[in-house]
Amino acid sequence: MADQVITKEDIMVVFPTVQKTMADALGCDEDDIKLDVSLIEGLDAESIDFLDMVFRLERAFKVKVPRGKIIEDVRGDMPVEEFEQNGVLTEKGLARLREYLAEIPAERFSSPMRVDQIARLYTPETFCKMIITAQRVAAAE
Amino acid sequence: MPEQSIGRFAAFSFVDRITEIDGLRRVTGVFTISPEVSYFPVSLVAEAIGQLAAWVAMSHVDFKFRPVAALAGDTRIFKVPQPGDTLELEVDIESCDEQAIVYRGRARINQEIVLELLDTLGSMLDINEFDDPERLRHDFACLTSTGRDSGSFLGVPRPTLHALQVAQDGGVNGCEVELSVPTQAAFFNDHFPSRPVFPATLLLDALLQVAQPFTEKTVGCQVAASRITNVKVRAFTAPGTTLILFAQSPEAVADEPNTWCVKVGARSAGKTIAGAHLYFSTTHSLESNL
Repeated sequence: MADQVITKEDIMVVFPTVQKTMADALGCDEDDIKLDVSLIEGLDAESIDFLDMVFRLERAFKVKVPRGKIIEDVRGDMPVEEFEQNGVLTEKGLARLREYLAEIPAERFSSPMRVDQIARLYTPETFCKMIITAQRVAAAE
Repeated sequence: MPEQSIGRFAAFSFVDRITEIDGLRRVTGVFTISPEVSYFPVSLVAEAIGQLAAWVAMSHVDFKFRPVAALAGDTRIFKVPQPGDTLELEVDIESCDEQAIVYRGRARINQEIVLELLDTLGSMLDINEFDDPERLRHDFACLTSTGRDSGSFLGVPRPTLHALQVAQDGGVNGCEVELSVPTQAAFFNDHFPSRPVFPATLLLDALLQVAQPFTEKTVGCQVAASRITNVKVRAFTAPGTTLILFAQSPEAVADEPNTWCVKVGARSAGKTIAGAHLYFSTTHSLESNL
């Protein structure tokens, strides 16, 4: 059930709450939280902000989001050694990432790409997907 | 006082004994504020609750990681403790793993609540960066058995603040103050032995001391801190750092008469390293809530 396709409509259902929650966490206006803005490069988010956003989103949506959940969601059922080696995404891993973050323009993906660079790609839409996946997992339990 | 009494496990330790650990759900402990201490900031009550949570978190991950202050969503202040008071500490742990501990907690004096922490998250970092895990393991064994002697904490110096800018009609929208973090202080021996860091709760105390008189001057009456929200600690502050503390003009809180919110923060070398929202209420309205 958690593997169901996430549509734009699904995303727009959760986006208003994600937008408000992220604005509170980052101390910016809600209007600054566009679906496709890069959280790190566009809104100066740091690692503590990601922790804060996930923490607030968990409470806002009453779901549990394990730390590192986005990368887990990206990898899905792919074995770790197929997904990345020595902290660098494999070709298969990078293809999986492009597929998961289909909304991100192709030029923003580097090749090779380190796992710790993935967060630079995150947008509010990434977090919407994370919440929808967590909701589906919770509903399936 | 012997040298050791102001060093590690004394100068900035706020749990005398861990009285009960109910798995990874709930932990209780006590801390007595020495009658000799002249100044015990209310933020140190939050520190005590956080340290109780930290002991259980460190034990849970076999002393490989330790939590450090990161986020405190909501802190309610009901009363300011006095020297000689014994804090009865409780922590409810929501989750704890090698990345973070999420918890809530409260402190009581004679069963009367003095401070409550909600939605608190500590990031877990490599313990070796901060302390010797074997010594921490030994200290934990002491706290969970006989406890340690109370009265080891001898107080902290009041922060030295220098006003830079104060709001004026048509002038700056808030105030800025310079805080010189000392290069040496007893609390650095304990927080932390391998990496001295200015405690976030002392930074919070300094921010309260900046914002309270500023609020009183702006709103024209005496106020006291009643709530702290949105605490976010972005970076460690090393000894000797000069911080710029800032407070924005107080804003009246809707639906809460006689209460104002002040957004505060601290900058180091132009970068914001911490922020919070401080709520102040008139002392009269605070008393009526008790």
